[in-house]
Amino acid sequence: MANLWRKLTYHDGNGWWNLPHGPSNELNPPHEGPIGGAWLMNMFRTMTHGGVEHAGPGFYWLVGAALGIITLLEVWLFGVEGLGGWYIPILLGLSVLKFVGVVAFFMHLRFDHRMFTYIFTSAMIIGILIFSLILLFAEIAFTPPNVF
Amino acid sequence: MTQAATTEHHAPVEDTSTGLNSRKLMMWAFLGSDVMFFGAFIATYLVYRGKSLIGPYPSEILNIPITSVSTFVLLMSSLAMVLGLHYVKTGEKNKATLWILAVVVLGAIFMGFQFVEFREFAHLGLTPRTNIFGTTFFILTGIHGAHVTIGVLWMAFLAYGSHKGTLRADNSLDLEIAGLYWHFVDIVWIVIFTVIYLISATDGPPPGMESVIHG
Repeated sequence: MANLWRKLTYHDGNGWWNLPHGPSNELNPPHEGPIGGAWLMNMFRTMTHGGVEHAGPGFYWLVGAALGIITLLEVWLFGVEGLGGWYIPILLGLSVLKFVGVVAFFMHLRFDHRMFTYIFTSAMIIGILIFSLILLFAEIAFTPPNVF
Repeated sequence: MTQAATTEHHAPVEDTSTGLNSRKLMMWAFLGSDVMFFGAFIATYLVYRGKSLIGPYPSEILNIPITSVSTFVLLMSSLAMVLGLHYVKTGEKNKATLWILAVVVLGAIFMGFQFVEFREFAHLGLTPRTNIFGTTFFILTGIHGAHVTIGVLWMAFLAYGSHKGTLRADNSLDLEIAGLYWHFVDIVWIVIFTVIYLISATDGPPPGMESVIHG
């Protein structure tokens, strides 16, 4: 179990969640294995052709396929009855997965300079906080006028 | 102006106070502000969700299968975008042009879906002035559609540049910055699709109002 955890969370010897220090405009950042561990890295190298350690077309196709499958799953869930209170949390979870997939790999935040991650994440946190408060106040203290 | 220096790893470093490319930094800052912009409209939609006193309601009008297809198209345009950027960076001009052109085509298809959807809704009696659902729905999806339109035009310009050979590996940052914008438009739609379509698609009249509305 500890080994599995290490493989999932470690990235080239560093914690996977550690953001890269690299410059902002490297053409092919050398530390682009999405997740660490020998078997995952081997699979990654196979998919990205030629054993290179940066993301290539194969990897992008893989991410694209994952995004498509998650979308199919969401639509399938829409037709499933009996999920009850689980429906919205599951959908939001899948939505977050897709969101992170695009931002981390297609927008290269996972491999780019950490400053960009800080900027975008700060905006997300502030935005979510403010709009959560708006929704909260609207729910408990303010009834929007039924205009039409 | 910035100049690129080369490190011992042959990775260019921007000669700026931050060490980051200023244009790219500006785009990320813009995207951060756009998060707030879209967040405001999404929050407004949620505040007024289920408050419409007259129809059509989401449950009567939203078409999940059709929107799922358009969502898939937009996701695939993001894939085409990142592939286009990869091939520009590796100097494979024809492949790069093809994939950037694919972004344009897929983006245009998405816009087509949205146009047909808006027209269908109008035909069924839902306009921005019909009810509060119509107002919040059309403003949010319309602004997103405007973003897509700008992105399609931008990509068309870059596809032409790639075809003519003016977009190359050494100035691939032009495409990378446009790509950031395009992917952002995609992730906004990921949220809209979940919140407006999948979660709200069963919304009807406000609780307790059905008997009043329908007599």
